[in-house]
Amino acid sequence: MLAMMPVPQVDPMAAPGPLWLLRTLLLLTFFLHLLFMNTMLGGAAVAFVCAMHQKRSPFAAQLGRELGRVLPAVFAFTITLGVAPLLFLQVIYGHLLYASSILMAVPWMGIIALVLLAYYGVYYFSLRGTSYPASTVAVLGVATVLLAGVAHIYTNNFTLMLAPERWLSLYGPRPSGWNMNWAEATVFPRYLHFVLGALAVAGLYLVVNGLRKRETAYGRWLIKRGGQLFVMPTILNYLVGFWFLVRLPADVRMTFLGRNQLATVLLGIGMLLPLAAIVHLTLAGSNESPVRQAAVGIGSGVLTVAIMVVIRDILRNAYLAPIFRPEGLRVAPQWGVIALFLVVFLAGLATLFYMLHALATAPKAVSAAAGGLGK
Amino acid sequence: MNYPVWQLGFPGGLLIATVAVLHVFVSHFAVGGGAYLVLTERRSYRHNDSDLLAYVKRHSKFFALLTVVFGAVTGVGIWFTIGLVSPEATSSLIHTFVWGWAIEWVFFFVEIAAALIYTYSWERLDRHTHLVIGWIYFIAAWASLAVINGIITYMLTPGRWLQTRGFWAGFFNPTYLPSLLMRSATAAALAGMFGLVTALRTSSPVRERIVRWAGAWLAIGLVLLPPLGWWYYAKFPGFAHEHFAEIPAARHAVLWGVICVAVAVLLALAFALSKPRRMNPAVVGVLLICGLAGMGSGEYLREFGRKPYVINGYIYANDMRVSEVERIDTQGVAQISPWAAAAAADPVRYGRDLFQTQCASCHSVSGYRAMRSRVRGWDETFAREILLHLPLTRGTMPPFAGDEQDRIALGRYLASLAPATITGANEMEVGRHVFEMRCALCHTLRGKRRPLDFGGMDADTVTDFTRSLSDLSPNMPPFTGTETERHALVVYLRGAGK
Repeated sequence: MLAMMPVPQVDPMAAPGPLWLLRTLLLLTFFLHLLFMNTMLGGAAVAFVCAMHQKRSPFAAQLGRELGRVLPAVFAFTITLGVAPLLFLQVIYGHLLYASSILMAVPWMGIIALVLLAYYGVYYFSLRGTSYPASTVAVLGVATVLLAGVAHIYTNNFTLMLAPERWLSLYGPRPSGWNMNWAEATVFPRYLHFVLGALAVAGLYLVVNGLRKRETAYGRWLIKRGGQLFVMPTILNYLVGFWFLVRLPADVRMTFLGRNQLATVLLGIGMLLPLAAIVHLTLAGSNESPVRQAAVGIGSGVLTVAIMVVIRDILRNAYLAPIFRPEGLRVAPQWGVIALFLVVFLAGLATLFYMLHALATAPKAVSAAAGGLGK
Repeated sequence: MNYPVWQLGFPGGLLIATVAVLHVFVSHFAVGGGAYLVLTERRSYRHNDSDLLAYVKRHSKFFALLTVVFGAVTGVGIWFTIGLVSPEATSSLIHTFVWGWAIEWVFFFVEIAAALIYTYSWERLDRHTHLVIGWIYFIAAWASLAVINGIITYMLTPGRWLQTRGFWAGFFNPTYLPSLLMRSATAAALAGMFGLVTALRTSSPVRERIVRWAGAWLAIGLVLLPPLGWWYYAKFPGFAHEHFAEIPAARHAVLWGVICVAVAVLLALAFALSKPRRMNPAVVGVLLICGLAGMGSGEYLREFGRKPYVINGYIYANDMRVSEVERIDTQGVAQISPWAAAAAADPVRYGRDLFQTQCASCHSVSGYRAMRSRVRGWDETFAREILLHLPLTRGTMPPFAGDEQDRIALGRYLASLAPATITGANEMEVGRHVFEMRCALCHTLRGKRRPLDFGGMDADTVTDFTRSLSDLSPNMPPFTGTETERHALVVYLRGAGK
């Protein structure tokens, strides 16, 4: 009895959608969330560094201001896009996530407070206008640290949910929820892998931004600096990724070293693509017409993120294989509601497109709303 | 049983309530405030009122900072909280309504995008497009409310879902429509209330115009609340009506809600509509407090109304499935839950863990809904007997689930919380204390609830009665007090109320 593994039973109700659809939506929305989250975390760090150097480098000052303007919106969509994967994750893995979340309930719940503080910190920075006193820079620094802390808590919980063998030893002495999963061998390399990835993706964001202004010296500076911001953390990530790989349990590691062909091939591609990105972005940084090389670099980088999302999913299932297989879930699709969701989803995309199009095509200086009354 | 219990030191329900009330206060503003923004903007164009336009621009920034940040993050906070406190119920909701939430997520996404574009594009978009974006925002926000409302009301009145398990049967349940209309009226009232907050930063004479305009929103929303609230309440389950009639905590919450609405209506009429010039920060502060407290009262009553369940008829408030109770009674908690099994070797810890599992979602030991005061003087036998009859003691209590050993362990733990010898100035007073401790959980003396009346009976008859309680009804625990206490009880039963 005491040796019982505390794996909760799955919900007695069947999953209300086919697994392929739930998994596709989970991975797709998580991929989008990751792009925004990385831009947010990496972008906040970059904005902080830029604000620190605002007096020494006019380009840095300009980038700090631009990031200040855009980061609140990036934050909003990081959260919005984070809700969807959390939703679909619960259908498939909810029974594991609830248990691990309860074990580390205090830090898990603390995410809400940390995100709220970081969010208002970013807004504070954003609303300060064009130059930043030391206190404002400090607020952004704190917000960045808080976001890094949030990422760390996520890494802890999303590894703890894979390790039910550790749950009772955490729950027994501390049922109050004051736990982390630091005993897990992969927590730190995994966390570092993601944080370095966030910096690299923020680098891609700078390159995209630079391409739009490539005719100016500032635009070329952005492409160069953005490329460097991608390259340095990515090179480090090869080392951290190797560290991550060797810290995986042998059984799980073998999934990526030949036992599972798809996983092995994806890992191979996932290691080659960043190389292509490094080469192209480095060349783009010193090229007079950088569009093509930068585009290949950005594409390779973004595709790497997508592949890493799939690898992460395979890794999760490899960990869970002895205790839970999603393929074994009972399924009873609510097709009518699924169809309605797809209709609403398409309508939502169309509405989004309309709004962005209206914004993009609006003349910059003219506004009837603000451009005077009585016309 | 399936999950560990977060032993956070106070009832988890209180944490849910705190996060939820803060969230709904802002999220209803996020809905009504959308309509308020766009209609105020349109009004400024129609009346050629540049001051009003300047106001609505400022208000939109305040609106975004409050709703897009605080509203959105606390909304995620509710997700986190319910998953921690009621994982079984959360899992069940997910498995029933994940596509409803997915639809709501699309509205949420559009809502956030529209809010940001609306707020930051005053200088870029033409009037018509800007208004369209505003309407998109409002429609998405209201649609988001309309979806979530279906899931929240399902928990109170699942209707035909209990038989069919169908999505739509649960979604369009008996309280869906009245709740949606009531929440829409609340959203309008909060739009006006927060409109007054930013109106304070304007100066006369535009301030009076804005205060009157915002006050009209507040007043219209508020006066719609009582009839809609009454309709909503009429659709509550029958057992909820009994709770509201009998349990003081529910009646106090109703009274509190009525007072909040009444005070807010009076202030809206007196300051915003009649004498807008006199509107001041103190009045707006009182209005906000009334709004938050009224919202708290409404949410409290909705959750109270569905007790002993968290999903009416399906999952109890302590996250135990109705269908599981029989199995747990037969096999025992330690056999079913690995979390409890780990503590089974230590009787003290096991009893405490059982308390955490079955009681702590609503009760704390010494704080909110404290058990220490409720079990004062209980002995172990009485405690474990009472555990057999919890739903009878109060309709809001789920049954205890567990075998004989579990009942003994929890009974021992409860009895250890506040051991006390019953004392009093005279026999009558001692008797009253004994009655309150042992009988008043289920009975009143010549009152409404399971009344007892021993007037005219001799002492021997009443004493015999106390010796054969279990024979009189299987629901009655035996009297386990001392003979002195029994005597005092008899004196009290015969003499009280004469």
